[in-house]
Amino acid sequence: MKVNDMILQTVTTLLSFIILIFSVYLFFAGHYTPGGGFIGGLMTSSALVLILLAFDLKTFKKIFPINFLTVAATGLLISILTGVAALFFDVPYLTHTFDYVELPILGETALTSTLIFDLGVYLVVVGVAMTIIQTIGESE
Amino acid sequence: MAFQILLNIIISFSWMFLKNEWTFADFFVGYFWGLVIIFAMKNFLPGRFYFERIIAAGKLLFLFLKELLLANVQVIRDILRPRLDIEPGIFAMPTELKSEWEITLLSLLITLTPGTLVMDVSDDKKVLYIHAMNITDADQAISDIKNTFEKAIMEVTR
Repeated sequence: MKVNDMILQTVTTLLSFIILIFSVYLFFAGHYTPGGGFIGGLMTSSALVLILLAFDLKTFKKIFPINFLTVAATGLLISILTGVAALFFDVPYLTHTFDYVELPILGETALTSTLIFDLGVYLVVVGVAMTIIQTIGESE
Repeated sequence: MAFQILLNIIISFSWMFLKNEWTFADFFVGYFWGLVIIFAMKNFLPGRFYFERIIAAGKLLFLFLKELLLANVQVIRDILRPRLDIEPGIFAMPTELKSEWEITLLSLLITLTPGTLVMDVSDDKKVLYIHAMNITDADQAISDIKNTFEKAIMEVTR
């Protein structure tokens, strides 16, 4: 039985973008306010799962022609390398630095190396969540 | 529509460049003068003057809120009645709307007003199947929806 999913698909095209920008906000909010890499990654995954629900697996693979296991592996590599980078400055493993930097447009911005670590966490969460969902969806 | 809005934003930025002030207030003033200029030149540009559509969208929102209130009162009256006196039914409503966005908007508005619920859209997107909680006259319900929501949506999009 084939139903016409037009309403769900039309709403998804708008909603997925709103969820994605909210996930980016959550990712950057993590230093001072609730949020961070993990919850941002889950929110991104939820947007992708919404697309997966409204359309089908074939369309989803056309939109994102990437292997999500690679995404998870990349995230893990980034997180480990930020930890290793601390060893070059003669400080213990996984020590993070924090500084105010003058950027050309944004002016004085607080930058921390924790953000890069968080990016790794973010990618791991997105990769693992999407891999789980896709593998469950594929198995007949 | 989109071209007119873009033109208006370009006019605002030109205003800010001319004044050499970079605040939101100056952007707003520039936007207002851009609106006046575009209104004066509206026969030169393709399509309708876009601010009319924004007003029509506001009217649609107001209509939706009014219908929501009235329909909820109707449902409360149906619930509080000692004897349940309703006639549920499903009817097909042919729609004149073309694009997916219009049909989706209409379906959501119908669904959010209690008493009616969109169940399905036909494959050729010409007929909506609607479940009504209390339906005595299908043609009456169809003409009601057509005269309120569909007309208001057409005001916005055409």
